Parts: sequence; structure tokens; C-alpha cells
Amino acid sequence: MDEDTDAAVIAASLDEPARFGAVFDRHATTLYRYFVRRVGASDADGLLGELFRIAFERRVSYDTSRPNARPWLYGIATNILAKHRRREARRLRATARLVAERSAPGDLADGVAASIDAAELWPRVSELIAELPDGECDALLLFVWEQLSYEEIAASLEIPIGTVRSRLNRVRRRLRALDAPTEVAP
Amino acid sequence: MNERSDEFDPLRALQPDRVRPDDPGDPAVVSRQKERLMSIIEESDSTASPSYRTPGIYPRLAYNDERAALDYLVRVFGLTEIREARMEHDDNVLAWLRLGGGMVMIGHANHDIHRIYSPMEVGNTTAMVNVYVHDIDAHYARAVAEGADVTMALQDAFYGERRYEATDLEGHRWHFAEPFEAIRARGGSIPEDA
Repeated sequence: MDEDTDAAVIAASLDEPARFGAVFDRHATTLYRYFVRRVGASDADGLLGELFRIAFERRVSYDTSRPNARPWLYGIATNILAKHRRREARRLRATARLVAERSAPGDLADGVAASIDAAELWPRVSELIAELPDGECDALLLFVWEQLSYEEIAASLEIPIGTVRSRLNRVRRRLRALDAPTEVAP
Repeated sequence: MNERSDEFDPLRALQPDRVRPDDPGDPAVVSRQKERLMSIIEESDSTASPSYRTPGIYPRLAYNDERAALDYLVRVFGLTEIREARMEHDDNVLAWLRLGGGMVMIGHANHDIHRIYSPMEVGNTTAMVNVYVHDIDAHYARAVAEGADVTMALQDAFYGERRYEATDLEGHRWHFAEPFEAIRARGGSIPEDA
């Protein structure tokens, strides 16, 4: 095993637990930002601590054939977040209000709901996300905000890659449907 | 940063740290939580409970030269020794090794108490160790590169797994496999009719 991989560090931490600190050093900032994005800075603090306490306890069962521990950490973090969906929904709505206030006409990305007024679009998008089933919401945010690959999402959520694909496709359809009522046939 | 452009663009626009660049979180949090983690680790260290658990069933394999076997299994098959579990007495070593979720124990051939022999002594192999690995193609390539004695070449088995077998330095037989489903999940290619 390569001495530098997370898997090697975690395996070594079974003998010398303090070495697990290196896993924190490598990934804590990324995972902290993930928590901040989803629930805000005030809650992210405690959740970051909870994440690494759990990861440390579970390091015994880490699959050392996976060199990079980041998907594993995202998976634990995502499980922790399941208890915070309502807080997350409030945050999304607040963000949507900010974006709507700042959007000028023609400001929207190409091809995206161009016919919907910004004041209308952003609240609808945030409602849609807030009401997604947990599994779709998790796959979506890991993909779009965290920029994980399908394979990494599958490893994080411990689901087949085909399930990642179908969850994201369902969200794509929902997002397209937002636009549908105002679409004009060519 | 990899900027995709697709139906998910509205979501990207709602990414909070883009909307409020003043809300990237507090860097002091990370260093404070690091301190907490290290104190949790320190406390756990002083409790004497072992940080490894043995599965309900795991084999003990007998070798005439278990130190050579330990080196071999780590180098060629990619097993990891749980160092805190190792027991040494006289010239003999007992070692516990893991791979994925599984575990084997290796020790010196023991003719008196346990009456187990190395295949090298008896001239036959009477058991096989089955191991699931994360990336069978990479595992196979590594074993071959490290000089494994491959006794069944890598192949796609009819029951839905890719597998190969290798005989170790004293004749224990190892069977390595990965289900097609797992191969597909990591983006590998599998037979079309699978």
C-alpha cells in the first residue's frame, strides 16, 4: 500500500491513533465547507466535530482498498445532515431571496428558465430542493456543490452508480418541469 | 474548478458561498475542532480496548516461515497487518492481516497443539481463502507484477464475478474476486451479456 494514501494512514492509526489527525488535516476544510453550505456556519462547527469523532471510531471498519477517504467522510457527513433538513430548507429559502433581489433581467444562465421572472424562479427552485426526497437531495448537492463524480457519490452514499444516475435524472426532470408552463412551442 | 453547464445551473447559483462570499465559514473552527479530535484520540488511546475486532470466523494459516509469509502477503496480495495484534514468542510470530472487511491470522505450522501443517509439508492444499477486493483488475496487476504464482488466470465467471486464483509461497490457495455489480459501480467494463 502506498504510504501516503488515506487508507495507509487509517490503517496505521489502528496502531497509533494519533496518526488519524492527518486525515483531519487533509479533509476537514473541505468537509467544513460542505456543512456550511448546507446548514450554515453556526451549525457547521459542531457537525464538523461530530463527523471526525464518528470517523475516528469507525476507522476500524474503513475499507483500506479505497485509497482516498474523502467519499467515506462525505458519506458520514451526509448521514449526520439528515437530521437537519428543516434548517437546511430555511437556509435555501434565504439564499434564494438574496439571489432574487440581486438578479437583473437577463442575468440568468443561458437556457435556464429564461422566461421566468427572477423573483419567481429562485423561490421555486429553493422549494423544489427543500422538498426533494433525502436521497435525491444528497446526490444532487454532492454532485453540483461538492463536484463529486458519480463514482464518488456512489461510494459516499453506498449505493450503485446506476442509482446515482437515476436520482440525478429525476432531479433534472423536476428542474425542467419548473420551466415547462411558460415554454413556447417553436 | 470544473464548471459544468446544464440543468443544474440554478443550483450552482444558489450555492451559498457564491451568494454570500462573506460566509465561507470561520477558519478558526477547523483548528479548534482539530484540537478536540486530538484530545478524543488521546483519551481513547489510554483505554486499553483494542481498536481492531476479529470477525466471527477467520482462518489461521500455517507456514514454515511465517515472517516470509507476512512480507509476501503484504507485498504481493496487498493485505495490511494489524500491528497492535501481533504476538511474538521464541522465534515464532502470530500476525493478523486484513483486506477489505476480512481477516486472516498467520502463524508457524504447529504440530503439537493445533496440529496444523503448511501445504509445503503435506504436499497438498486442503482449503482456499476467498477474498473480495475493491478493484480486481488492479489487484491482479499488482500481484502479477510482484511475482505471484497465478494458478487461475483472471477471468469472468458465469455467476457474475471476475476472479483469479494464486498460490502463495508455501502453497496456500487464494481466490480473489469482485462482483460485476461492483465493477460496474466503479466504472469498469463487464461482459455485455452479464
